[in-house]
Amino acid sequence: MAEERIGVFVCNCGTNIAKMVDGAAVVKAATEMPGVEVACAYKYMCSNPGQELITRDIRDHGLSRVVVAACSPRMHEGTFRKAVERGGINPYFLEMANIREQCSWVHDDPAAATEKATALTRASVQRVTHHQPLEKRSVPMCPATLVIGGGIAGLTAALELADADQQVYLVERQAQLGGNVARLDLTAPYLDSARDLLRDRVTRVTRHPGIQVLLESQVVGLQGFVGNFRPTVKIGTGELLHLEVGSVVVCTGYQEFDATRVRQYGYGRLPDVITSFELEAMLRRGKVETRAGKTPRHVAVVHCVGSRSREFHPYCSRVCCMTGLKYANEIKSAIPEAYVSNLYVDMSAFGKGCEDFYKRTAEARTIFLMYEKNQAPEIRLAGTDPEGGMLIAMKERLSGEEIEIPSDLVVLMVGMEPRRDSDEVARLVNISRDKDGWFIESHPKLDPVATTTDGVFIAGACQAPKDIPDSVAQARAAAARILAKIHQGMIAVDAVYAEVLEAHCSGCRVCNELCPYTAIEYDEVARRSHIISAACKACGCCAAACPSGAIQARHFTDQQIFAQIEGVL
Amino acid sequence: MAVRMNPGLVDDLARYGADDVTKCFQCGNCSAACPFSQDPFIFPRKPMRYLQMGLEERLRSSLEPWLCYYCGECSVECPRGAEPGETMMSMRRWLTAQYDFTGLSRLFYRSWKAELLAILLVSLITGAGFLTFGFLRGGGDLSVYDGPGAFLPAGAVHVFDWTMGGALLALLLVNCLRMWRFTMGGERRPRVPAGAYLRHLLLLPWHFFTQKRYAECGEKRPWATHLVLMLSYVTILVLVMFFLRDLQFGPEIRWSVHALGYVASIGLITTASLAIRGRLKKDAPYHKHSHESDWAFLVLLVFVASTGVVQHVLHRAGLPTAANVAYLVHLMGVVPMLVVEVPFSKWSHLAYRPLAMYFARLQAEALAARAGRPAPEPKPQLAT
Repeated sequence: MAEERIGVFVCNCGTNIAKMVDGAAVVKAATEMPGVEVACAYKYMCSNPGQELITRDIRDHGLSRVVVAACSPRMHEGTFRKAVERGGINPYFLEMANIREQCSWVHDDPAAATEKATALTRASVQRVTHHQPLEKRSVPMCPATLVIGGGIAGLTAALELADADQQVYLVERQAQLGGNVARLDLTAPYLDSARDLLRDRVTRVTRHPGIQVLLESQVVGLQGFVGNFRPTVKIGTGELLHLEVGSVVVCTGYQEFDATRVRQYGYGRLPDVITSFELEAMLRRGKVETRAGKTPRHVAVVHCVGSRSREFHPYCSRVCCMTGLKYANEIKSAIPEAYVSNLYVDMSAFGKGCEDFYKRTAEARTIFLMYEKNQAPEIRLAGTDPEGGMLIAMKERLSGEEIEIPSDLVVLMVGMEPRRDSDEVARLVNISRDKDGWFIESHPKLDPVATTTDGVFIAGACQAPKDIPDSVAQARAAAARILAKIHQGMIAVDAVYAEVLEAHCSGCRVCNELCPYTAIEYDEVARRSHIISAACKACGCCAAACPSGAIQARHFTDQQIFAQIEGVL
Repeated sequence: MAVRMNPGLVDDLARYGADDVTKCFQCGNCSAACPFSQDPFIFPRKPMRYLQMGLEERLRSSLEPWLCYYCGECSVECPRGAEPGETMMSMRRWLTAQYDFTGLSRLFYRSWKAELLAILLVSLITGAGFLTFGFLRGGGDLSVYDGPGAFLPAGAVHVFDWTMGGALLALLLVNCLRMWRFTMGGERRPRVPAGAYLRHLLLLPWHFFTQKRYAECGEKRPWATHLVLMLSYVTILVLVMFFLRDLQFGPEIRWSVHALGYVASIGLITTASLAIRGRLKKDAPYHKHSHESDWAFLVLLVFVASTGVVQHVLHRAGLPTAANVAYLVHLMGVVPMLVVEVPFSKWSHLAYRPLAMYFARLQAEALAARAGRPAPEPKPQLAT
């Protein structure tokens, strides 16, 4: 190997690094390191003049390798790679020494910190000698999209994509489209009909030439990687359909909380304790009545069933508050002489139009009764006759009184929970779930629809409890992300990935199951594993696990890492 | 022991004028704004909550509505437009109906038609009665107003006044006893020793005659108006009950009673007219809402006072026939006013409010004694 000419650039990061690390001392030590041609410190290396310094030195000193001792590579590796590239050498001939997050920010002894910064810099200098030129590649993007779930989010995403002249496969497990919204009567807070909301979407989706609707179907496999997924769908007839798509939108929604789990509500035991979805069905039929067919005079709506509790789900289901108010309005218009009580923990009227809705509902003489979280009301029969009405006992917080509420019909506002099979779906499309079982987005604020798997997006209530407007917004956001990629036509693939040296591979398949990105395929004929570079995230699991040492992670070769270790010691 | 909720209470109270209570979301600004809200009587928030929740028994045993003089501060401060001041007013109407054992109060408050019908009916019976009496048992001659042959002799009217007064007072007393039972009885209430009842007895006349607590509301004018109205009314009542002979005496005038009568009449007509004008113009928060019973009370007052003045003027002007007719019309106003208002409607607050102040003081002391701490320093106007 020819002698490398290395440049070391030490960043002071204003005072962030300088206050604890003596940049001049690091520079002085660096100049004495083998191969170092030039070393200097600068106030802000990431600034334009800082980058300029690097590119100029590469040209002026004919540098072949660059070390930047600055912040975490997560912060500015991309910046400096570009600077290095502008200087005329391969961008992967850069190595960063993190002397901020891992040094100046966490130490309080300047002398020791400077010594550590020097060691980290030396490690980088030794490592960078072994860097190899890597090339970024790109793969073609298949413009078709697979949408999993035909609820309001799935319908919206499908329409958005198909209206942009892209092919969509919409897979729905049930025999009809619409999902949970199809079970609703009106929607809060404007009391628009859910049926009307859906009808137009469903009609357009079924008639759209760009959308292939697969009812009573299920995605059973997903191979490939961003831009080039190969899903397998089991359709109604039982046969398997093999598709090719570039992106996947998961819109699998939620299921309602099982009300029998809250014992003291007596659901399943008391005939006139029903869930919100059962009331929706009554409202859709146009008749609210008790099991015995009587018109209820006192209706109680119990909020937070299964939500915001120690015992069941700690989170808020977000839609129940306004839905509960909606019931007060709907029941009052169906049965004007009825009294409706809302038993709540907190009233969340955060959405647009919701505060007004709350006010109007209160003015319509809805009774609001506040109960303590984790101290849920208890429902029992008023007498011995199961049709003789019920009494709800609770401690009312705003008055401090123990009260009994006479009720003929009790509606339980069952919360949202992840679908029973959400872990299966997560594994299938290779995304992760949070502690409650909801799918995790790439960034909670800045990247709400992407996931850790490129090309797989999530929208709607499968990500977290969500109302219709938010689900629709997410679906459209996911479609926009996909259309942007389709527009680019190609997908850039990072040059850093793992590869199998097939001659050394014994075909043991240890790596196949370990790969968190399902990037490893097994060739049954050759009996060798193979890594799809576009799907690989270079996490290194496979390389570490391979008993034959047959897997090499590019840019993280053994040689590079050993050099780095030696340097730091 | 859990309290059973009556979800219909809000609807019931709406008939008494509490239209906006459901807008309340219990922020408590009203109680913070109220100059009288003081532990253990926090209002309007607490009674409003009882009302919203339909805790009928709790509301019936509440003294708080009577501790309010309706300055309207709370309604001004309410961020939701729940009109706590008017809600308290409605609760006073409702409580009046609750204290009344005959059920007539409830009927009158909930239906202005019934109240009007009752007033007209009593009025007609009164007119017919006195006319018959005048011709058959009185002087028999409509042109004689005073003296031995008077059409309506003072002596006879006096006996009638006392009979009716006694009956109405008895009804009111029964209602007051019911009020005591509702508000001071029951296991939730602290036991008040008999000595305490005696020790604080002076609170009753004190609050009745000074309405000092009203003066503590921000503005002084409503207090002054209310006090003048009440004192004028009481003055005339005393004159009529005790000095009817001197009032009806003729032809010479007995200035000792008449001087007082003139001042009180002017006071009554002026203040009642001011109140009517205020309610028409809705010039203050406490005038914004007017229940039919408010109108009935004021209109009857002005009617009775002015017909009283008219019959007196006609009498002194030497027009005895006209004076007798005016006297009849006056009686046709006085009798229904007293019969309907004293035990069944707004007039009864003359008794209930001082009683509530008295009971509240007793309760505050008893509660403090039970908790083993000194009684809370009452706002100055509650002191004996």
